[in-house]
Amino acid sequence: METSQNIIELKDVSVSFDGKIALSSLSLLIKKGERIALIGPSGAGKSTLLNVLSLSNVSGTGTIRIDGQPPSFYRNRKVRAKKIGVIRQQFDLVNALPVVHNVLAGKLADWSLFKSLLSLVIPQEKEIAEYALSRVGLVHKISEQTGSLSGGEQQRVALARLLVQQPEVILADEPVASLDPARAEDVLDILTKLVQEEKQTLITSLHSVDYAKKYFTRVIGLREGGMIFDLPVDQLTDRHLKDLYKLRETRE
Amino acid sequence: MKQSLRFQQKNILTFILVLVFLWSLRVIDWKEPLLHPGGGTTFLQIMEAMIQPDLSPDILLLALDSAWVTITYAVAGMTIAIVIAVVFGVLASGVLQSSQKPFSTLSKSFFRAFLGFLRAIHELVWALLFVAAFGLTPYSAILAIAIPYGGILGRIFADMLSDVEKEPIQALLSTGASKWQLLFYGYFPLVKANMISYTMYRFECAVRSSAVMSFVGLGGLGYQIQLSLDDLNYEEVWTFVLFLMAIVMVIDGWSSQWRSRLTKPSSRFSLLSFFVSFALVIGSWMYLYIREHASFFTLFTDENGQYAKKFFLSLLGIGEETPAFFSAKSWLHILQLSYDTLMMSIIAIGIATIVMLITVVPAARNVANGKLTMNRSPFHRVSFLLIRASYILSRAVPELIWAMMIIFIFQPGILPGAVALALHNFGILGKLCAEVIEDLDERPIRHLSSSGASHAQILLYGVLPSVLPKFLSFILYRWEVIMRTTIVVGFVGAGGLGQQFKLSMSYFHYSDITLIILCYLLLVWLADFLSELSRKAAK
Repeated sequence: METSQNIIELKDVSVSFDGKIALSSLSLLIKKGERIALIGPSGAGKSTLLNVLSLSNVSGTGTIRIDGQPPSFYRNRKVRAKKIGVIRQQFDLVNALPVVHNVLAGKLADWSLFKSLLSLVIPQEKEIAEYALSRVGLVHKISEQTGSLSGGEQQRVALARLLVQQPEVILADEPVASLDPARAEDVLDILTKLVQEEKQTLITSLHSVDYAKKYFTRVIGLREGGMIFDLPVDQLTDRHLKDLYKLRETRE
Repeated sequence: MKQSLRFQQKNILTFILVLVFLWSLRVIDWKEPLLHPGGGTTFLQIMEAMIQPDLSPDILLLALDSAWVTITYAVAGMTIAIVIAVVFGVLASGVLQSSQKPFSTLSKSFFRAFLGFLRAIHELVWALLFVAAFGLTPYSAILAIAIPYGGILGRIFADMLSDVEKEPIQALLSTGASKWQLLFYGYFPLVKANMISYTMYRFECAVRSSAVMSFVGLGGLGYQIQLSLDDLNYEEVWTFVLFLMAIVMVIDGWSSQWRSRLTKPSSRFSLLSFFVSFALVIGSWMYLYIREHASFFTLFTDENGQYAKKFFLSLLGIGEETPAFFSAKSWLHILQLSYDTLMMSIIAIGIATIVMLITVVPAARNVANGKLTMNRSPFHRVSFLLIRASYILSRAVPELIWAMMIIFIFQPGILPGAVALALHNFGILGKLCAEVIEDLDERPIRHLSSSGASHAQILLYGVLPSVLPKFLSFILYRWEVIMRTTIVVGFVGAGGLGQQFKLSMSYFHYSDITLIILCYLLLVWLADFLSELSRKAAK
């Protein structure tokens, strides 16, 4: 039954900023190994939901259980880093550092301060970085300045960092938003392949319905902080999508 | 009504500032002659000497030696300044503090205020205090550079650290990095290029400071300039001044080359520069240790300790019957001097502004080559070169050295100090403001020109409205700097608080010194506050 265990349970989670509701009483069960796409118009609450799941948003109400444990269990950064990893748009990397250090940053939770300082001079456990980079096809760029890489390459470096960090759940917030279609497909292709190989759980917010259909197993439609649908990808129809994205003429 | 007031705010502010300048001129006693009887002749002699500096081998060798001492002190001072700046800059930026609200804001403001205090007092004031406390050891000069420069660098580092892009930091946080790991894997790499660039710029200033501060008797270019001036040997003076200018230009060239390559990864020049600076640091400290027998720890001998203790106690007025800061008479006297000093700074920035405004238009590259005004003539080219040369000379010679020369020409009082400050600052203002004009959007101006506007009309409608706000902000910023420097020109007899400071120092009236520094800090704070206020009003 290991594979069908719920790794994430949300019950009646609500979040609001300045009196504006960002998520309204959302309940959600996610099993290990699922690949979930969050879609919906801008401002639907996709990023808020991901922030809740990454435990960086503490202002909401409701219950959250990650692998059966409450958020307080993950207050220790090392415990949290082993459970949850995050990837956003391509601005997540420190451009002034060589690629190898950005990848090895995935190990910081395990390293002492001394070891992390030493590593900036002589890279420690370099073979881990090499292996991770080889899996995203960038091992030849290991000593290059991160800032000199293209957008797609930078996003693959971020993936290599996640490989080194090895969290059980990966939260991706618009990971391909600033890439052209070819690079975007490339990154999503690698991301979903790696997640399957590592038996991780993936939750991604996306703008493109096509990518959601192509790379994910389950699609959740959000709109104005509420869930419009939550379906296995093969049951998704055009009607659902039309409902999700239609412009509402009058509000209340 | 409110709308139009808001619209007029800038004009009202300008009007007020002009009035303040005119008011400040009242402090000068215009009935007495302003120049020394022989002032005009001296001026001519000084100018004549500029064209024919003394280039005899003896003097050149002496200049070379003094130049090296000057650089050594600057490098050693900067080394300590960088340590101060990194430690307190990190603390003042709040990146290491826990996110608990009241504690983190409190400690942040505490360290910011501390850095502010370090940079409020001019390096020369520190130098005089340290010479009084520790004697004529190189460390008096080194610490005098280290403290204010540590304050300035620290403040800027703190700003850089708190302004980094948030995304990479958040990403590192999500990998489970600790605060210290964030610092070394996130914050430092993100600000490294900017930090090096700003440190290099400050190093250039430190060399100038080091040269100047040696006039208190510490060895170095400033000391030689002082000696030659005492002998009325102006040819030698210019040799040393030219040496100073040459060093500053070399460092300026080096640092601008390095800065332009900082953003490019793995540049060989950057690597070389890094090693050169490293070698400079090692070389300077070795020189201090071996040649000048100045180990850092000799500072902390018993004898020195006793002496320094006595000095600091007398600063606090202990052992004195009525310390100056408890005497109403002293307060009145020092407050009067503070007022004079304030007026000196206003006259100085006023004169510098007037000279800048007269010269700045032909000094802009796009005016000189006719691009902006659609009018090209060889006359523009010549006036451009002449004005630019005068700007370079103006800012290359430090205020104090201008003041040393000026007091040979003017009668003592506020005016020579103001003129010396103005002489140094019009070049800086001119350069900054000419660059503003060079960065102007040319399209609206061309449009005005093509619609038949005259030169004056172009200036009035096209140039002035877009450049004046920036000019104003530069002028106010320079005024803050001038305020900090007023005390310094007084040291050589150019009036105000500085002159009293030097007098009290020579009479060992140390509680006077405390009172003067107190008033000086108040003035500096007042200047910062007023200039901030005016800048906000001008927005």
